[in-house]
Amino acid sequence: MKLVYRILLHLSWVLTLLLAGWAALFYFTLIDEVNDEVDDALESRAEVIVKRVLSGREVATSAPTDNTGYILREIPAEQARGRSQDRYSDEEIFIPERDDREPARVLRKTFRGAGERWYELTVMSPSIEKEDLLEAIFYGILYLYLCLLLSVLLVTVVLLYRTMRPLYALLRWLDAYTVGSRNPPLKIETSVTEFRRLNEAAERYAARAESLFERQKQFIGNASHEMQTPLAVCRNRLEMLVDDPRGLSEEQLGEIAKVQHTLDYLVRLNRSLLLLSKIDNGQFPETEEVDFNALIRRTGEDLEEIYAYRGIRFSVQEQGTLRVRMNPSLAGSLVGNLVKNAFVHGAEGGEIRVRIASHRFEIDNDAAAGALDAGHIFERFYQGTKKKGSTGLGLAIVDAVCRLYGLRIEYAFRDGRHLFTVNFPE
Amino acid sequence: MKILIVEDEPSLREIMARTLTREQYVVEQAADYASASDKLAAYDYDCILLDIMLPGGSGLRLLEELKRRRSRAGVIIISARDSLDDKIEGLELGADDYLPKPFHLAELSARIRSVLRRHQRDGYECLEAGNVRLWPDSRRVEVAGRPLELLRKEYDILHYFMARPNHTVDKTALAEGVWGDHIDQVDNFDFVYAQMKNLRRKLHDAGADIEIRAVYGFGYKLVQP
Repeated sequence: MKLVYRILLHLSWVLTLLLAGWAALFYFTLIDEVNDEVDDALESRAEVIVKRVLSGREVATSAPTDNTGYILREIPAEQARGRSQDRYSDEEIFIPERDDREPARVLRKTFRGAGERWYELTVMSPSIEKEDLLEAIFYGILYLYLCLLLSVLLVTVVLLYRTMRPLYALLRWLDAYTVGSRNPPLKIETSVTEFRRLNEAAERYAARAESLFERQKQFIGNASHEMQTPLAVCRNRLEMLVDDPRGLSEEQLGEIAKVQHTLDYLVRLNRSLLLLSKIDNGQFPETEEVDFNALIRRTGEDLEEIYAYRGIRFSVQEQGTLRVRMNPSLAGSLVGNLVKNAFVHGAEGGEIRVRIASHRFEIDNDAAAGALDAGHIFERFYQGTKKKGSTGLGLAIVDAVCRLYGLRIEYAFRDGRHLFTVNFPE
Repeated sequence: MKILIVEDEPSLREIMARTLTREQYVVEQAADYASASDKLAAYDYDCILLDIMLPGGSGLRLLEELKRRRSRAGVIIISARDSLDDKIEGLELGADDYLPKPFHLAELSARIRSVLRRHQRDGYECLEAGNVRLWPDSRRVEVAGRPLELLRKEYDILHYFMARPNHTVDKTALAEGVWGDHIDQVDNFDFVYAQMKNLRRKLHDAGADIEIRAVYGFGYKLVQP
């Protein structure tokens, strides 16, 4: 949920509660005030009638039979006793003329007249329709609520987007940030302390990630370098054994060959790691114009001969010439790894098709199994299916070369074929 | 021929010394910068195998010293740092070749022979084994004075073995040397056998007295008469 929505949500329910509470309070205060006034009027009218009765003058027992009149009746003394003096109530009075009920405020007053005669006086006064009032208040509040909400929301949104501009800038910067590549500097002008601290923290952590990445790269490079000499010793001792003039038996030679093949694998692995760390460190500065058409054709022909036993056909369709300035040995790694993968992993007896256009080339081959996991194939040491002799670094090297030169590599699985596309910048 | 090995790893130094001694070279060894410097000041060598990272100093400084003294020794830099900067600097300082570790011993002796040849015959390069002669510059081959026509890969294989006589070469190393880096996932070497069969037949038909002999279960070896 976006921050602005969250703030709006909270604001709207707080406003709802506040306004609802305020509406209730307003309603009850209003009713109370009105009742108070009406009660005072009723009281004084009752007083007049009571005084008349007490003074012995003739008083009509009732005046107009609507909700503005009064009713005076005599009641037995027992009934009068125990009743409080004045009782106020809200009632609906039936008005025969209108054949309808109208709301009225009613005062019932019990008093003693001359000679132990008890009277009950009912005085009525028309009062407001409470339902109407409620409705009026409800709509009033509703409009107010909507107006308030709208203006508050508007102000909040504008304010939020204005003051939060540095935050959004920081978020965009963090999104675009990739460790180990050339990142733009974090340049955000802000006077807000919190944002400044946030920017500083972001820069600090970016620098930390950068130095960790740097150290990791150096570690891989150093570890690989340190392994070169021991590997040389192992390999060369075995070679001396093989060249021993006293001669070895065939079984012994076979065993040594096996050890050497494992060593070769180790040497290759080490070399690939070194190559990766050198690419990451940008240690391939010299460039020349590479003719990819020729490079791809030559690589394909070489590999077709080597992998002839797999019976894979290799064809190149040249829709354009692809000439790019880059390091020739890295161009060789890029093409070599992709084409070799097609030969090694392609279905036996299948076909490899390469299409070269002026700004990209595509390689597709028959898949031996289903689609590859596009999210992981470019990771180091990721191997969908373990192949003998494979270092699991081929596509990582391809990816590193692409990153170095800003090429875009894509993988797709179409009609049972693996398709790799390398796009060169226009 | 006198060779100085400047290498701080004792095991590797010993292997190199033994191999080169077996190939009839006179070998001396130095384990650090100081002793290498002393030896270079006191004696002349035909070829120097120079490790760059040495205890006590950089091999590149030794190279500068040699250049200052106008030494005629061939220098092959042997380094664990397969780094371009080292390579360029080394070659600019007058080194003849650059061999990154880990290398094959056959490769080492091929490079030494090549450097010695260049220094002795002023760039005129010809490999000779038995009655077969091969000119790498013009990709020409002669058997007993008559030219021998070879296809590209056949020539590459012959060149590979002529540069490494008497070394048993593993077929993977041969494939890597001739076909390049892409053979790492091959589990069928028919393409090597096919080319090898043709080459051996052509050599035999032309009356060559050398033989590329199969070492069962391992690889091949060039045998001279």
